Amino acid sequence: MAQGVLSQVLDALDLETFLICSSEEEGKEMAIRLMKTLGFHDVDLVFIQFAGPGARVRARAYIYRPGQDYAWVRNVNREGKG
Amino acid sequence: MPNCLERKKVLLVPLDPVHDIGLKMLRRGIEEAGHQTMLLPPDLPPEEIVSVISRESPDQVLVSRTLGYGVAELLARFVDLTDAAGLRDKTTLVVGGMAIRPELAAELGFDAGFGPGTSVDEVIAYIEGRPFQPDAAKVKKEKAQLTAGYTYEYRHPAIGKLLDKIVDGILEWTEGKTSLGIKRARLRDEAWDVEMWRQGKIDDRFSEAYAALCDPVAEAYYRKGEVHPKTRRQSKEEIARLEDYLTSVEKRMTVRRLQHQERQPRVFIQYGTGCPFMDIAHIKVCEAWGADGVVHFDPSWGARTEGFIGDFLTHQEDGSVITPENLAWIKAALEPSTLWQVRAHRGVNTPETVVLAGKLGADLTKINIAYGALAAGTDPARLTVDGVEAIRMAVKYNLPFDVVTNEELAGVPAHKAFAGMLIVAALARRLGGRPMLQPLFAFSPEVMVSGQMGDNYVDFNAAKIEALRAIIDAPIWPGAPIGFLTQTEDRVQSSMTTALHAALAASLQVDAISIASSDEAYSGGPIVAASRVDTLRAVAEGFRFFGEGRVEPTKQAGPWAREIVEKIEAVLRAVADAPSFPEALYTGLLGSKEEGAYPGRGGRGTVTTE
Repeated sequence: MAQGVLSQVLDALDLETFLICSSEEEGKEMAIRLMKTLGFHDVDLVFIQFAGPGARVRARAYIYRPGQDYAWVRNVNREGKG
Repeated sequence: MPNCLERKKVLLVPLDPVHDIGLKMLRRGIEEAGHQTMLLPPDLPPEEIVSVISRESPDQVLVSRTLGYGVAELLARFVDLTDAAGLRDKTTLVVGGMAIRPELAAELGFDAGFGPGTSVDEVIAYIEGRPFQPDAAKVKKEKAQLTAGYTYEYRHPAIGKLLDKIVDGILEWTEGKTSLGIKRARLRDEAWDVEMWRQGKIDDRFSEAYAALCDPVAEAYYRKGEVHPKTRRQSKEEIARLEDYLTSVEKRMTVRRLQHQERQPRVFIQYGTGCPFMDIAHIKVCEAWGADGVVHFDPSWGARTEGFIGDFLTHQEDGSVITPENLAWIKAALEPSTLWQVRAHRGVNTPETVVLAGKLGADLTKINIAYGALAAGTDPARLTVDGVEAIRMAVKYNLPFDVVTNEELAGVPAHKAFAGMLIVAALARRLGGRPMLQPLFAFSPEVMVSGQMGDNYVDFNAAKIEALRAIIDAPIWPGAPIGFLTQTEDRVQSSMTTALHAALAASLQVDAISIASSDEAYSGGPIVAASRVDTLRAVAEGFRFFGEGRVEPTKQAGPWAREIVEKIEAVLRAVADAPSFPEALYTGLLGSKEEGAYPGRGGRGTVTTE
């Protein structure tokens, strides 16, 4: 089911959260680990800012890079129901 | 106004401890529409409200309540009470408020539910029992004419005189000179039949003659069918799927207007994901969220390759390859109101890009000899002869074009970048073209060093607009994009500064702006659609926030504007005295190496005589 919906993501999935950590480096490592734990492979941090209690992060998983074979084109008649 | 038989009696009930603002707003609209209203105070017990319904016998009861803990039960109980009192069949019960959705209202036993964003007109339509027709004027978008109403007259006679002298010199210098780029442009103009091409008919005579004017990469396409090594052809199946996708999207596609009160500025986004499919998908998203125009951004290697190849090509680098097929598909995907710009400003294909854009139905192009020769890699002499031809082709194909000053991003001071822009605009004016001035509207290296934006981001940008308006009556389109280098990878900050720059642009009443996406500063991958939406929403909110209000520069903007004008005049005087315009570019009069402007090497030594 989740895979079905993910195939309808136009390009990328961003996960935004606040991580309790002691440094930006630790926050970065945790955010990437979180994305990989969720099963994403093409992951990166778009934004991270550490201050005080922890880090505000925006982690990204590219579901499709430009030029790939997009399922949302193949699944045109599913109207996004995945 | 409805007659007494059509007039409805509406009871407005804030089933809430405090809030009744929404109902007060609604009351004004409903009464203006000729209906009778009665607004109850907040915090009445449901039993008392039912008693009022029983006594007053309203046609409609509009209940307002924000959803929270236990509120769904409260609302359901209210419906049960009216039922128990025998009133449910005699009156229509409607609920509205934050978090209310039509399906939830039905589940709770209401006849209708209105959530956030509901307009007063929509509620009145419901009360009157007619379908809601949104105000067509508010959603109908027409393609804007950005250059209409401008005279292109010089307001600064001394600068006008200098510009005319420089233009005379450029036309004299380019007379009798040509290049492979010009030859291809003329061949494409004269011998490439776009209708035959659309029908899939290959013109071998054109291909043969064209291949002889290309470098090895493009030549290999025409002689051996090889595409550029960084690209791949998309299959027939993929193209068929895209067609189905587009048909499906167009059925549910509507466009919205970003601007609140005024129609300026029109908002452009730049696409160029590398893949025409992804470009089209992004364009449709941006149109739906209000973009007025889109700009085709091509890969930098395309500007250094003599000649265009064909086919439906994709790759995974910044910028989408210009081929007739890619451009034609993107054009076919656009909504009728969307302005389409194909940039032709910087490479060895400059004049031919204009021809291709014109034949495939572009609305705008982009030409700037100075920027293309100083910050985008093309030899000044080559781009001067090609630029003049490009302007002539733009005139022939009726394409207005902007004259970008991105060399400011390299650290070239605004007055030098503007002098280059004004020379190209004056050249266009002489040749019958319709140029638009495109000052960079941003925190640029120049101001980082010299500090004109130390206090705010308003004054120096306002000074630039004021300076240009003091020189010539021409359309102004800041970009590309606005707010550049104030953006970071933070989505909120980038969207906000873009929105503030957009609001400043609206205050200065410029004709258009190009905006970035909120993740434009992120270099780890392509821009994504969700970030584009964030920025477009922020810009819409910026326009809404200020409306007819204004962002005001401080008094500092005036002196800076005058200083820019004086410095432009001094630069133009030096250019007018130079041996030639290309010589002025080579020697740094319009931006020196120390300022970060390096004369380009692409196409060096390729200018020939006719």
